[in-house]
Parts: sequence; structure tokens; C-alpha cells
Amino acid sequence: MYAKLVFRNAKRSAKDYLVYIVTMTICVTLFYAFLSISSSFYNPDIGSEYDFTLLSDGMKAAICMITLLLLFLIRFVNHYMLRQKQKEFAIQSIMGMEQKTIGRIFFAEMLIMGLVSILAGIFFGVFCSQFITAMLLTAYGKPYEISWTLFPDTVLWTVVFFVFSFLVVGIFNTRTIQKTKIIDMLSAEKENDPELKKSRWIFVMVIILELFTVWAFITGVIKALFFYDSRFPIPVQFMYFGNILFPAATLGWSFLWLFKKKKWNFQKLLCGLLACSVLNTFAAVSVPALTNQYYLPLGSGMLRQYLLFALIDLLFFICVLIYLASCFIVMWKEKSPEHRYKEENLFFLGQIISKLETTSKTMTLISVTFVLAIFLFIAAPILTGWAFGYLDIRSMYDVQIFSQYNDVHDEKELLQDNYEIVTDFLDEHDIETAYDCTFNLYLPKKEDFSHRTKYDFPIVAISLSDYNAIRKMLGYEQISLGKNEFATQWKIIAAEEERKNFLSKHIDVLTDGGTLKISEQPYYEEAMGETLYNSYTDVLYVFPDNICKKLLPVMRNRYITTTEKISYENACELERLFTIEYPEQTESGVAYGVRFSTLQTNSAIANNFILQTGMIYGAVVLMVICLTVLSLQQLLDAGQYKYRFCVLRKLGVEENHISQLILKQLSVWFGLPIIVAIIVAAVVVGYFIQTVSAEISAYIGLAALMLQIGATVGILVILLLCYFISTWVIFRHSVNS
Amino acid sequence: MNTILKLEHIQKYYGNAGNITKAIKDISFSVEAGEFLGIMGASGSGKTTLLNCISTIDTVSAGHIFLEGIDVTEINPKSLARFRRENLGFVFQDFNLLDTLTISENIALALAINHTPVGRVESRILEIAGKLNISDILNKYPYQVSGGQKQRCACARAIINNPQLLLADEPTGALDSHSSQMLLSTIQSINKQLGATILMVTHDAFTASYASRILFLKDGEIFMELCKGNDSRNAFFDKILNVLTIIGGGQSHVC
Repeated sequence: MYAKLVFRNAKRSAKDYLVYIVTMTICVTLFYAFLSISSSFYNPDIGSEYDFTLLSDGMKAAICMITLLLLFLIRFVNHYMLRQKQKEFAIQSIMGMEQKTIGRIFFAEMLIMGLVSILAGIFFGVFCSQFITAMLLTAYGKPYEISWTLFPDTVLWTVVFFVFSFLVVGIFNTRTIQKTKIIDMLSAEKENDPELKKSRWIFVMVIILELFTVWAFITGVIKALFFYDSRFPIPVQFMYFGNILFPAATLGWSFLWLFKKKKWNFQKLLCGLLACSVLNTFAAVSVPALTNQYYLPLGSGMLRQYLLFALIDLLFFICVLIYLASCFIVMWKEKSPEHRYKEENLFFLGQIISKLETTSKTMTLISVTFVLAIFLFIAAPILTGWAFGYLDIRSMYDVQIFSQYNDVHDEKELLQDNYEIVTDFLDEHDIETAYDCTFNLYLPKKEDFSHRTKYDFPIVAISLSDYNAIRKMLGYEQISLGKNEFATQWKIIAAEEERKNFLSKHIDVLTDGGTLKISEQPYYEEAMGETLYNSYTDVLYVFPDNICKKLLPVMRNRYITTTEKISYENACELERLFTIEYPEQTESGVAYGVRFSTLQTNSAIANNFILQTGMIYGAVVLMVICLTVLSLQQLLDAGQYKYRFCVLRKLGVEENHISQLILKQLSVWFGLPIIVAIIVAAVVVGYFIQTVSAEISAYIGLAALMLQIGATVGILVILLLCYFISTWVIFRHSVNS
Repeated sequence: MNTILKLEHIQKYYGNAGNITKAIKDISFSVEAGEFLGIMGASGSGKTTLLNCISTIDTVSAGHIFLEGIDVTEINPKSLARFRRENLGFVFQDFNLLDTLTISENIALALAINHTPVGRVESRILEIAGKLNISDILNKYPYQVSGGQKQRCACARAIINNPQLLLADEPTGALDSHSSQMLLSTIQSINKQLGATILMVTHDAFTASYASRILFLKDGEIFMELCKGNDSRNAFFDKILNVLTIIGGGQSHVC
């Protein structure tokens, strides 16, 4: 009998909660598809120079972490279903069924719906994993072939994860059902949007903001006392004062409100704080931006601290904006009777205000999650594009050996070594070298050796013959210099403005071998790797050979290219041997390093892939969660709305007006959190892009970036439209039935 | 006197050819302007069906209903909503107020839907609220006021557009006896002072005794008609009880 009840209920609920089942199926599909890569049965052909294990483990961890978010969604939908079925539970209890049994029946019903979703999800996941494999093989630069396989361990993982989630949530539900009184269950349906009472969470947010503002104010004062200098350029001055004045204004406003509490309402305090949070955000984000630009000294950990301040301000902004939205609507309604009394506007505004006031917390959470999802969507291609672009720059040579003198304080400690261990290893393993170049980097003036502060680290020089040898290695044209002339080589990341500025100031260079003049072709900017430059500098001098002989060599590098790629095992072995002989930290202070393109490429591709898939997966999951919550909140209240629209119909409102009202209501419901999220996300993403603009133009390109942002927006719009239209159709159907 | 509502041989059937339920068999009557007509009957006698047909919420199977000479059974379905809001006012047993709006906004909504000029909305609300004694609860929400007050608000909403006909479906059904009395006095004063024509459906003899004429329905037909004439309300009440006894409901159907 009970089994019959369970199946019948599940069948009926399936109709009501199609959105839930579809969402769960999407989640299982994504979970299975992404996790299938980490399966031990998964063995794509990516070639001997790559190793796959690194990727599998990272992937598994990343996906499981993100999927934990789904627990929230499962809990949310269960909670709503509980509320919907309270009356049924009450009748069952009155008839004499034990509340324990009712809980179990409900649990079994939800489990059936969940299992259906898992089965469907795995089925679609098999298709979806093909896309992921295609993505992976493209990342490794291999051709792609379709293969239909079901990975038993991934299936097991998926089933275990989701069944476990259902169990956890189910136990909570059963407890809730057992604890609820029958009378409360009976009257649950009658109370609709009870009391229009606002929750107190906004007070908590205000207190948190005030505490952080005090912290920001103190930090601002301390930083100004320790680091402020009146010679700083105007933006920096603004940054210092802004970070003191704006937090002070925030606190001042709060105190003013406390004094005038009787006359001013709470909304007035919030409006002031809203404006202050915007100003504070700008002041806080200017710190990392200007620090990068002007190399400001601010002490360690400061950037993270200011980003935290900015984050808190942004969060507060979202919370208060949504909280005040209903107040703004009420104010507008009060002030303009011509709009208020226009056709069904009163009804429409009543719907919106009551819903906003009772669910502003949910709306805020949805908005914040949306911001996160949009950021992940846009940041994922930027970060991976950056890393791939950077990979091309970093792994230009098959073997790259370099040394640094940053911790050497005695010139005699600087060793001149040819790194013969590498030559021996290559000979031993019959690895032919195509080009091999060992060279020094010199200090133009000996006294530069003692310059060790970040801001005046000396630019090093290379001899013309070594420079040309490296250019030959990379297939670039040879260059020549006149007598007593020099040229410059620039890092790809260096800005044009910086280069022009530098060249205009360095027409002559004083060296220990005499003064050199700039040559006719003053700069070269082909990519030549990152280890060719001194720390904290973006430029390298190219001096004639005879001059270099008179200079102090401080760094010794060796670049090798091989005729065939070094295999993954050989690269690992050589790296191990090299690190034993030349550790990163030596007693003399010289730091050695070795880079293999094989290893770099492998780890970069694996890490990038984890990063990219993780971020995209996370973004899709977050977005699906948001849209489902938005959609379910409207659909599950459709019973209430049915009554209200019925009253309207009896009052003589035409059907087309009712359709318009429904459309308007859903538009506001979906539109408000999304528009707030888009505004905030635009600021966050804009700031992010501005911060890494140099890297973007160097490694990704603006056109590619715009294409990626366009694709992101496209996906968002499609997802949004799907959810909006399906909600609209179901909503209309349930209101009209 | 001027006839406002006229029903001619109304029939209403439910079901299909093999299994027809005749909710209304053949009903004809007319209502004069300013009359307060009560319709009584036991459960299943067809009174709510009749009210739904008059209010254009339901359609008739046969017959005609004329309101001010317009045949409502012939009105284009698209124009029905407009006809309803311009000519009819409703009071329901369960109030049908919107819980998201205040009492005054609930009344204003009926005006707004009827395109009343904005400048006149608030003065009209204050005027009607004064008459129905709900001025001091205008800014409260429905869940903050009593059932009697809610029903008076519903009355205010129903008559604010000066409808030709006010239809009341068991208006005291959800109220206690004291609130019922207050509401019925209100409805009576609406009838007497504002001259509104009222058609009230009820199964309660006490409620019905406020009407000036009563039609008794039984099995989809008019069983008897009772006029108050010059009787006092108590005498009329006794007459109603007697009719109910004849119908077969007996005293047990009377509350």
C-alpha cells in the first residue's frame, strides 16, 4: 500500500516539479561528463611527452568541491516540496498515519525522483563527455576521435555522490516532518506571504560593514602615517586620502544617524551607506591598481586586505540595493498617483513589493551567485589564454638554464659554470642538440651590483654575439651594432609607453667600458623567454662584444634546443639530477633554475585544463542553481497567484491584461537580481581586465577576448531565455487552470 | 417600476448526452431597480449556478438573461470582462481581497481597473469608507482586520463603481452572528440609501430576512416566492422558516 502511495506521489510530483528533475539531470550530466576524464579507464591518446595523472587527481578534487554547491539546490527544492505537501501530510496524520511513516514516504518519493534524474543524467553525460574529450585533446593539440564508453568508476562516483546528497537532505526532511505539529501543517497553506515582516539580516550586514569600515579607516591612517609622501603623483595622493576620508564619511554618517535616530528612518541610513559603499569600493580597488602601476611600498598582505575591503563593500552594495528596491518602489508609488491608479498597476506593485520584502535575502544570494558565475565565465578564458600565451613565451627552448644573483653579496661568489651535467645527460641518452648557447649577462657598471631594492634593480646586458646566437636559435634575423652603440631587447609584456619613455631618457648609457650611444634601431621586441632579463626589469641591453669583456658578468644562462622533443621521463630525470647539483638555494647565494619545455607544457596544459573546466563547470552550476531557484520560487507560489489572478478576473480584468501582468511580474522577478548582478559584475570584470590589460594584449589579444566575452554573454542569454520561457509557460498554465 | 434584470426560461445542464445533470431546469423572474432580492435554497438547489450565470462567469444552456435590456448571454466573450466590471459588483463568502494590498488599495484597484480619473480615486474611497464605517482601517492590510471589516471592504469595492446590480454570494457565510448583523445592516443601507439593486444568494433564513423579496429554489426550479411587503423583519423571518419547513429542510436547515 505504502509502495503504491510512493509511486503514485512520485508520478504526480514529477509533473509539478519538472524543473527540479531537469535541473538535477543537468547537474548529474555535467558532473558525470567532467568527472569521466579522471576515470582510471579513461585513456585518450595524448602522446608520450605528456603525463595524464596530474590532471586526473586535480580534476576529481575540483569537480567534487564545486558539486557540493548542488547540495544547496537539493535542500532548497526539498524544502519547498515539503511546504507544498504540508496539507497532505496533515490529512495523513489525522487519518492515523505515524509522522515517521509520512517522513519515510516523502523521502522514498524524493529518492525516486532523484534516481530518475541520476539515470537520465548519466545517459546524457555519456554524450557530454565527448565534448570534454574533444576539449582535452584540442588542448593537447591531438586529433579527436569519438569513442562511446561508460566508465564504471565514474558511474559509481556519480551514483554515490548524489545518493549520499539525497540521503543527507532526506534525513533533514524526515526530522522536520516529525517535529512539525499537525495543526501547523493544516494551516500552512493558508498563510501566504505572512505578515510582510522584514527579516533582521540587513542589520547584521550593517554591523559587519561598520566593523570593516573601522578596520579600513585604521589601516588607511596607518598606511598614510608610514608610507605617505607629498611627492606622490595625484592619483596616489587621492588613493591615500580616499582610503581615509571615505571610511571616515561612512562612520560619520552612521553616527549622525544615531543622533537623529528619532527623525530619520532606517532607510535613510541605508541610502547613505549605499553611496559610501560605492566610494569605498573605488578607494579600495585603487590600491592594488596604483600599487602595480607606481610600485608603491605598502607592506605585505596589503593588496589582499584591500581586495577584501572592496569585496565586503560590493557585497553590502548588492544587499542594500535589493533590500531598498521595495522601498524605492513604495516611494515611487506614494509619489505618483497617476501611475499608481493606472489600470492594474496597484495589483502589480503589490505583488512585487510583497515578494521583494519577504525574499530580499534570497534575491541577494542569487545576485551574488550570479556575479560569481559571470566572473568565472569571463575570467576562465582570460586566465587560460594568459597561461597558454605565457607558456609560448616561457618554453621557447627545450632546455633553459639560468642563474640569479639576488642573494649574492660578494662578487667572488659568482660562479662561471658551463652546466656540463646537462651535456653529459644528453649524450648518454642520445638526445641530439640542434642549438646550444651558454652565455653571460653583464652589469653595465660594477657599482650596480649593490643595488638590490625592487625599484632600482639594474638592467643587465648581453653581448652582441650571444644575442645573435639566441636569435638564430629562434629563427629571427641577425642584428648589427656600430662602434660604441647599444640596442635594447624588450619583454613582450612591456607597454609601448614605457618603452618610449625609457628610450627617450636613455640615449646614452654609461658603462665600465665607456659611454655607448643608442643605435639607429633602438629596440627589439621579439619574444625571447623570461629568463633573459634581470629580476623586476622588462628590458635588456645589447652591447658590442668588446665592451662586454670589460664588464662584470653576474648571471650565466644556457639555452638548448633539441632535434626531437625530450620525453616526459627523461625531462623529469634530468631535472632531478640538475637540482641536486645546482639547487635553487646555494650557500653562496646564487640561485639556479632549469626549465624543460616538455615539463612546462605538460603541467601548463594540465593545470590550465583543470582551471578552465573547473571554472566553466562552476559557472554553469552556479547559473543553473540561480535560475532554478528563481523559477521554482515563482512556480511553487503559483497556487497563491492563482487565487489572486482569479480575484482580478472576477473584478473584470481582461485575459490579455492578465497575461501582460504575468509577463511583467516574471520579468521583474528574473530581471532585478540579474540586472544588479550585471552591474556589479561589469565593475568587477572591468577592474579585472584593466588590472591584467597588459597580459591580455600581450598573450590573448583584444579581439579574442571580445569573442570570449561575446560567447559568455550568449550562453547566459540562452540559459536565461530557456528558464524564463519555461517558467512563463508553466506559470501561465497553472494560473489559468 | 423599471426592470433591471430579467431572466427568461434559464436552463443549465452539466455532463454529456448519457448522463445529464440539470442544475437549473427552467427559471424565469425579473428584478426591479432598487430591489433587494434574496435567493434561498438547500445545497444543490442550483442557487450558486444561477448566480454564476447572471454574473457571466458561467454560460447558460438555454434561455436569456437581460440586464438593462442587454442580453448578457449574447455578449462576445472578449467583451464580457468589460461588461462585468462596468455593470456588476460582487461580494463573496470568502471576501476575495488581495492580501498584498491595503484595504484602501483593494478598493482603489476596482476604480483603477475601471479607468476612473486619478484625481477622483482617493476622494471616492474616503466617501465610501465613511458610509461603510471603515475609514480608520483604510491603511491596514486584510490580515490585520476582522472578518466583518474585510467583508465591508469587499462591499465597498463592489459598489464603488455604482454597478447596476450587486451580486452577493453567501456574504455572511464566513462571519459570526454579530458581524453578520452589522454587515447585513450595511447591505440594507446600501440598498435603501444608495438605491443599489441587490441580488443575494443565501441558505440562512436570518440573512434572507433582510431582503424585500425571496425566491426559494428547489431542484433547479422556483418553488415559491415570498414578499416582505409591510411585514416587520421578525414576521418575515417566521414566514421564511415556514416555507423552509414546507420545502423539507425543516428547522434543522436553519441556523
